[in-house]
Amino acid sequence: MSTEALTAVPPTGRRRTGFSLLVLGLVAAIVVATLLSVGIGAVPVGVAECWGIIVNRLIPGTVEQTWTAAQEQIVWTYRLPRALLALLVGAGLAVVGAVLQAVVRNPLADPFLLGVSSGASFGAVVVLIAGPTVLGGLSLPTAAFLGALLALALVYALAQRSGRLTPARLVLAGVALAYLFQALYSFVLQQAQSGRAAQQVLFWLMGSLGGARWENLPLPAAVMIIGLGLLLVQHRGLNALTAGEETALSLGIPVHLFRAQLFVITSLLVGVMVAATGAIAFVGLIVPHVARMLVGADHRRMLPVTALLGAVFLQLVDLAARTISAPQELALSIVTAVLGVPFFLWLLRRRA
Amino acid sequence: MKLTVSGVRVALDGRPIVQGADLEVGERELVGLIGPNGCGKSTLLRSVYRALRPTAGLIAVDGDELTRLPSREAARRVAVVPQETPDDLDFTVSEVVHMGRTPHKRALDRTTRDDDRICADALARTGMAHAADRRYAVLSGGEKQRVLIARALAQRSGLLLLDEPTSHLDIRHQLEVLHLVRELDVSTLAVLHDLNQAAAYCDRLYVMSAGRIVAGGPPGEVLTAELIEEVFGVRAAPVRMNGSLGFVFDRLP
Repeated sequence: MSTEALTAVPPTGRRRTGFSLLVLGLVAAIVVATLLSVGIGAVPVGVAECWGIIVNRLIPGTVEQTWTAAQEQIVWTYRLPRALLALLVGAGLAVVGAVLQAVVRNPLADPFLLGVSSGASFGAVVVLIAGPTVLGGLSLPTAAFLGALLALALVYALAQRSGRLTPARLVLAGVALAYLFQALYSFVLQQAQSGRAAQQVLFWLMGSLGGARWENLPLPAAVMIIGLGLLLVQHRGLNALTAGEETALSLGIPVHLFRAQLFVITSLLVGVMVAATGAIAFVGLIVPHVARMLVGADHRRMLPVTALLGAVFLQLVDLAARTISAPQELALSIVTAVLGVPFFLWLLRRRA
Repeated sequence: MKLTVSGVRVALDGRPIVQGADLEVGERELVGLIGPNGCGKSTLLRSVYRALRPTAGLIAVDGDELTRLPSREAARRVAVVPQETPDDLDFTVSEVVHMGRTPHKRALDRTTRDDDRICADALARTGMAHAADRRYAVLSGGEKQRVLIARALAQRSGLLLLDEPTSHLDIRHQLEVLHLVRELDVSTLAVLHDLNQAAAYCDRLYVMSAGRIVAGGPPGEVLTAELIEEVFGVRAAPVRMNGSLGFVFDRLP
C-alpha cells in the first residue's frame, strides 16, 4: 500500500461540501416554496404574515399580530395542511420511484408501474360512484387503500414463483394488472348515472391536494415518515441491487427477501398516497432521474436529494395548479406532465 | 482462509448440473477451475457464493459450513467478481469499491474513516488509486475489472472467487488482470477459459467435465495432451515459452 494512494482517495471533500450545500439549498427552497404556497391564493397573505401566523400558532405570543383573523383561518386551517401534504406526497412519490427503479432495475419504473395505483383508483371509483353504502360505509381513502392492497396481493401472487420475485415478472404482472384495473374503473365510470360524480372522479384520479385537512393528515404523515425512513436507511442494499443480483448476493444482501420487503413497503406508501391525493403522475419517474444527474447513483446521497426535490417540486406544482386558471383548480397530473415532460426530455437529450 | 468443497451436487430447474464435486483451495493459493462450456464450472462457483443452493454435499470455509451462515457473515468470508456487472453503472470508482463494505455494515452504520482507508488500500493494490473519483461507466474493460477486484478486496474476506475475470478483455488486459490476481496473495478460486493462461498463472488446476471434476493438481501434471483431447475434444501440442507450459490447439481429425 502506498501513502500516495491514502492521500489521493479518501473523503472527496469537494463533493461532500457540494452535497451539503445542495441539501441546504433544497431545504431553503422547501421553506420558500411552502411560504409562497401558503400565501398565494384568492385571499393573498404576505410572506411575513404567513411566517408570523405559523410561528405564532406553534409558539403562541412570540410574534406581534399584523394579520386578520380571516387570514389566519385560511392560512392555518386550509393552506398549511395542504402545503404539508404536498411536501409529504412529493417526497414519497419521488423516493418510491427511485427505490422501484432499483428494485426492478428499470429506469422507467415509477409508483404506477406496478399496478398499485390503478388498484387504489379502482377502490376509490367504486365508492365515489356507487356511494359509500356499497362497501359498508367505507370512506374513499379506505377504499382506495384496500384497492391498493388488493392489487399488491395480486401482483405479488402472480410475480412470485417459489417465494422469489424477479424484476421481469414483477413488471409484467404489474403492467397487466394496471390495465385490468383501469378497464374496471373505466367500466364503472361509464355506468355512472350522474355525470357530476363521474367528473369528480376523473378530477380525483388525476391528483388533487384539495382534500387536505389537519384531521386527515396524521395517518399519511405517520406512514410516509416511517416508510421513507425505512427506505432511506437501505442505501447500501439498493446500491448493491443496482450493480446486479449476483453482486448483491455476494455482498451479503438476501436479495429475494430484500426485494419483497421493498415491494411491500413501497406499495403500502403508494396506497396511502393515492388514498390521500389521487394518482399524481410523473413525479416518481422524473425526480429520481434529476437527483441522479445532480449527485450520481449512490443512494446514500441520491435518496435524500430525491425526497427534498420531490417535496419542492410538488409544492410548486400545486401552487401552479391553483393559480394558473384560478379560481378553477387544475388536476396535478396535468401540471406535472406539462412541466415535467419537456424538462425531462431536455435533460435526456443534454445527457446523450 | 481455506475452502473445502466435497460431494457437492447442484441442480438447475431440476436438471443435475454439478454431479458430485470435490475441491480445495488452500491458504493464499490461486486455483483455476477449467472445463468446456456447460460443464458446470460456473454453476459450481455460484453455489460457493450462495447464488445457488446445492442439493447435496458440503461447502465450508475454514471448517464453517457456508450454507448455514447468515448472508452477511458469509459475505465477510467470500468475495466475488461475478461475470455480469452492468457496464453503465452511474457510480464513481470510489462508490463501487465502497460497496464492498456492505457486509460489514448494519442499516444505520455510517461510512467511517476505516472504510475509506480500506477502500483506498484496495484501489492502491489494484493500481486504480488515481481513478477514485472517475465515473465507473467511462473506464476501459480492464480498468473496470480492476475496480471490481478492488471492491472484492474491500470486503476483506479471506477467499476471492472470480468468474471468468478475463472475458471481454484484450490480451494485454487479460494478462494484466491475471498477473494482478496472482500478486494479490489471497486465497482465490477462478473459473478460467484460456488453458494456457490457467497453466501459466495458477498454482493448481481442477478440470471439470459433464458436472464432475475429472482431474486436479499442479498445471504441469494435470494438463496433458490426452486429458485435453478427452475433455475439450481438441488436439493439443505442448510448447514451451520462457520455461512455462503452453499448448497449441487444432481440431481433431
